[in-house]
Amino acid sequence: MLARISPQTLRILALLAVVLAVLLFFSTQVPNYLNGRLFNRISSSVAIMALIACGQTLVILTRNIDLSIGSIVGFVAFATGSLITNNPELGPVLLVSYSIILGACFGVVNGLLVAFLRIPSIIVTLATMALFRSSLVEYSDAKSITTGNLPEWLISFPNYKVLTFGTLQLRAGFLVAVLVVIAVHIALTHLRPARKLYAVGSNPEAAEMAGINTKLVVLSAFACAGALAGLAGFMFLARFGTITVVAGLGIELKSVAASVVGGVNIFGGSGTVIGALLGAILVDLIDMSLVRWALVSEFWREAVLGTLILLSVAADAILMRRLIALRVAREKTTKENAP
Amino acid sequence: MKDQPVLQLENISKHFGMTIALADMSITLHPGEVHAIVGENGAGKSTMIKVMTGIYQPSAGTILIGGKPQVISGPQAARDAGIAAIYQEPMVFPDLDVTENIFISDTSAGLLMRPAAQRRRAIELIERIGINLDPDRIASGLTLAEQQVVEIARALSQDVRILIMDEPTASLSAHEAAQLRKIAKTLAAQGVAVVYISHRLEEIFEIADRVTVIRDGAHISTKPIASVTADSMISEMVGREVGNYFAKAPGTVTDEVILQVQNLSLAGVFKDITFDLHKGEILCMAGLVGARRTDVALALFGVTPTATGEVTYKGKPARFRSPREAIDAGVAYVSEDRRKLGLAMPMSIRSNISLVTLDAFLSRFGLLNREKETAVAHSYRERLNIRTQDVDSEVGMLSGGNQQKVMLAKWLNMEPDLLIFDEPTRGIDIGAKAEVHDLIREFAAAGGAVLVISSDLPEVLALGDRILVMREGQQMGILDTSEATQERVMILATGQTALREAV
Repeated sequence: MLARISPQTLRILALLAVVLAVLLFFSTQVPNYLNGRLFNRISSSVAIMALIACGQTLVILTRNIDLSIGSIVGFVAFATGSLITNNPELGPVLLVSYSIILGACFGVVNGLLVAFLRIPSIIVTLATMALFRSSLVEYSDAKSITTGNLPEWLISFPNYKVLTFGTLQLRAGFLVAVLVVIAVHIALTHLRPARKLYAVGSNPEAAEMAGINTKLVVLSAFACAGALAGLAGFMFLARFGTITVVAGLGIELKSVAASVVGGVNIFGGSGTVIGALLGAILVDLIDMSLVRWALVSEFWREAVLGTLILLSVAADAILMRRLIALRVAREKTTKENAP
Repeated sequence: MKDQPVLQLENISKHFGMTIALADMSITLHPGEVHAIVGENGAGKSTMIKVMTGIYQPSAGTILIGGKPQVISGPQAARDAGIAAIYQEPMVFPDLDVTENIFISDTSAGLLMRPAAQRRRAIELIERIGINLDPDRIASGLTLAEQQVVEIARALSQDVRILIMDEPTASLSAHEAAQLRKIAKTLAAQGVAVVYISHRLEEIFEIADRVTVIRDGAHISTKPIASVTADSMISEMVGREVGNYFAKAPGTVTDEVILQVQNLSLAGVFKDITFDLHKGEILCMAGLVGARRTDVALALFGVTPTATGEVTYKGKPARFRSPREAIDAGVAYVSEDRRKLGLAMPMSIRSNISLVTLDAFLSRFGLLNREKETAVAHSYRERLNIRTQDVDSEVGMLSGGNQQKVMLAKWLNMEPDLLIFDEPTRGIDIGAKAEVHDLIREFAAAGGAVLVISSDLPEVLALGDRILVMREGQQMGILDTSEATQERVMILATGQTALREAV
């Protein structure tokens, strides 16, 4: 039975089970835990992280990593903020396109360096992480974007209530993020070029031999990740309003954590963005719940999160090995039974 | 041969620096034929395939496809021209399923994937090959043979006209190999030109229509299968006169047995290896690629402790469970893969030489004694004639021959009693070869025992006191050098003993 389900579906089911288990556990530990406010809080914060984790996943699928993604989010948030501050009449479509294109440009810089200069992505993006951040510091000229200068529609957009069930609100920001993730998921599973992303990460030499332009594939992955980070930068601006030069600091590692917890193989070739979304939800859920859990002091929260990441990756590796063993055994028996 | 050839190589040459890999190679492929290509290790088969598949560009010569001259600029261009190759190690994407693997480079069908249609086509292609394979399985769970089927199906999906099979059966079981040969026949019957490269001569007699022998990068002959015999093929493969560049030196064998191996086996890899090794003796292990000689060496060196059988070393039962134990007992193993298992390329000559025996270089406070290290390195540089300015040069910057000497120095420095030397002269020039041979003889003359693994037949004959021939994990026999010829070794290595007796 178990062997019939595809490994990816199994991973997602397992993640859902873990999310449920975490919810149940904390509801016994924290008084008045399960309520609409918990959902609203997590969904607001996941709205941004889901987009970034989704972009990070695209890059990781090709056996690379993007550590500059937090700096891109910060830069785009600031640049978009200052654009609208100076031109308050700009409409939403233009503003969002600006964010996305700016983010994609940063992604292209990363992609060119990784794909064509053949420098390992961890080094390239470690460098561009610092470079993008420094250019933000230079660009900002020690000023900040403040909520007061932003138009009303921008500030209210993420919290716009699409649907309300009691205290539980489905807000526009979260809805947009989930829709984008679903769109990317459909693209990954149904578009022909997307399959090359997996091929390059799965076996780069074979991809080259199969006539795939691996450089172009890696470049596109970084560009798409940049575009998603740009969109996340827009959401970041809309949600917080006040943007300083440290915006988005540390997001890059959180996005890697979300992807890995979501079952994306850090060595490339396998994983889904739905998994990354669930990973982002799980990481955020645990983070938020630990704040309210009296037993764990603030200092140990990071440690608990770290343990969670180790556990999820280990569990994943063991689970997959079991699954493969199970299949091999099943095939043996069917072969032996066959005449 | 009335029909138009699909592919012709005309006077193709390929140089790598000073090395000539292909010299004036010409070959013609017709649709519907199985064309076998045979040659010793290093004869130029792989280079030729890489030229056909666009991985290498020829230094000179013309490639004609369907009679028209064409440049194959890269793997994609080869694919577009209908040329595909499958290798001993299949190129599949382990994370994708069978269907996805087959259609990975399919660009014809637009942007959207239609999984159901693809799956149907995958089933058709697999049926055309005549194999049972579930199109939904993930490639990482497939056997080697099944992965090759996936690759063949991928080639068929792109309307392949020339399918090159490079040692496809070397890692397969007998049943799987038979199935694969059947596939090659089927495809040829459907009009594909199949290039079949194999060391197993009996396979070639079973399926080939024509055979081309190549040697030292040059074309020797192309004949219909009916007009060749195993003997004629082997003598053409070997060709050159024995001993034209290696002089046979008198042996220094003593009566004292240092290593006794009895029925050494490793499940699925090699079986019943039995030999003695005397002090002062050089025993060569000959065989073709895939004969599993290195695996035997690794088992003796403690890398694969699960091997069974009896090993007596210096009169005591010995079963090394790790390389460390083997080293402590005085066994050295010089790997064939300098880059991966042999040398730390970015490190200096000095630190490479002291690596195995670091403990001997420690001073009182547990610090490295660099003066001693340098002195030892200098003495080896002179003794082995390593040509460098100083011993602090990066090993990665040296020539292959000098690297090989550094590697030898590293192991000689532990003063081993038994030296296992895997492909001692692969990829180094003739002058350095002779020097390495002298060093090995010197070591044996000083009372050491040497086990040399070599695919270079003249080297085996020149160096060995006795020659153990292996084939696909089986020990085919031990020849004394006095009775060994290149032909006899090849006959054993290709498994033609039965044929020979029948003649």
